[in-house]
Amino acid sequence: MGTTGPSSINKQEDIEYGMKFPIFTIKDMVNLQLALIDSLNIEQLFSVVGGSMGGMQALEWASSYPERVYSAIPIATSYRHSAQNIAFHEVGRQAIMNDPNWQKGNYYNTKNKPRHGLSVARMIAHITYLSEGAFQEKFGRDMQSKVLSWGFDADFQVESYLRHQGISFVDRFDANSYLYITRAMDYFDLSHSYDGDLFLAFKKTRCKLLIVSFTSDWLFPSSESLAIVKALNKTAADVSFVEVNSDKGHDSFLLEVKDLYKILSGFISGAARKKGI
Amino acid sequence: MSKNLNENLISSLIDRNSKVLDIGCGNGDLLFHLEKVKKINGQGIEISPNGVQESVAKGLSVIQGDADIDLASFPDNAFDVVILSHTLQATHKPKEVLIEMLRIGKKCIISIPNFGYWKYRIQMLFMGVMPVSKTLSEPWYATGNIHLCTLRDFIELCELLNISIDEAFRNTTHSIKKINKPNSYLNNLLSIEGIFVLSNN
Repeated sequence: MGTTGPSSINKQEDIEYGMKFPIFTIKDMVNLQLALIDSLNIEQLFSVVGGSMGGMQALEWASSYPERVYSAIPIATSYRHSAQNIAFHEVGRQAIMNDPNWQKGNYYNTKNKPRHGLSVARMIAHITYLSEGAFQEKFGRDMQSKVLSWGFDADFQVESYLRHQGISFVDRFDANSYLYITRAMDYFDLSHSYDGDLFLAFKKTRCKLLIVSFTSDWLFPSSESLAIVKALNKTAADVSFVEVNSDKGHDSFLLEVKDLYKILSGFISGAARKKGI
Repeated sequence: MSKNLNENLISSLIDRNSKVLDIGCGNGDLLFHLEKVKKINGQGIEISPNGVQESVAKGLSVIQGDADIDLASFPDNAFDVVILSHTLQATHKPKEVLIEMLRIGKKCIISIPNFGYWKYRIQMLFMGVMPVSKTLSEPWYATGNIHLCTLRDFIELCELLNISIDEAFRNTTHSIKKINKPNSYLNNLLSIEGIFVLSNN
């Protein structure tokens, strides 16, 4: 789902925007959501909940529009994209941009789309969403068949799984959008406007916050969440922090982790009680 | 020892609508009670993931953290009251934790098990074993209570740090009683637990 992106038609030129689409940021996404609630005459959101990039948006809400949110739940996220995360994104983007079918982003009206590049980008990203334990448990060294190919076919189940993840992504995601969205995450740094002093970003934050991280998430490790908690403590904000035990890596926030539901429903009903709704 | 006795005493020491930090809040029972009866604005810190989850599920604001490390991030006088109930003896650096809690709280309420309690002395003196009781229930090799002290020891530390003891209470197994001379021989002998209201001199 989305609004306007590189695959949308640029009405002035009657052709897809492609790489002429402007670079946008996490704050732009939040500003768009703000415009939406303004037009709906919603004064205050009861809770802004998001995981990963959605968590960045939840943090942006709490920082930039503190009076418009009553509570926020940033899950498995960070106040800025780490060097390692930028590095993974860069590999994914390079895979897309080095696919000859990418054609500098002008592939919309050609027969060939950068399917290989995008699918490799997705394969890399998918590795970062899981954990070593999750891979080991799910696949181990299980084989597709009893005999090895002694070549480079997908002998291992993990290979065939990743290839499938990559290929099925291509049909539902635009390669240029992938470039732009990963860039928006890379550029995100709440502390940037405050000379790296994160707590200043939360100086006006008054909403109730619940920060959640997962033990096996190495893409957005708990240390990132703790840095947010420390900054919020400095402002004596109303904050909860839970590190949920899960071996499923970053993906945990999308999966049915029982403890997560218990925590979320407790926090939300507690907030509702305090708000009197 | 009754948990309710403790809850009621601590509750009686806290003004309505105060901003309260409970360090080592466990499953959040005390904070929950205080939010109900004193309408406090509560915040907890708890080291055990289960305790944090239970607390947050009750609708409380609790951070998974360590008293030895995480108090440093709070600003001076951030809370009206800081509570440290049965936790000081389990910290690695009790002196530093005490200093920190008095920095971030205008008033501190602290309860500590008294290793000078007469039953413990008897266990040591006549049986020659490390005391075990309902309050200190774990054997020496499994206990998290790594910095046990007597009430006298604690009071000496307060003097050393120039901390004022504004009120003191004695917990026997049946009742809680206000005491005027917390450093008396008898108090140190009869209290299974001491509860102190502290502030900076």
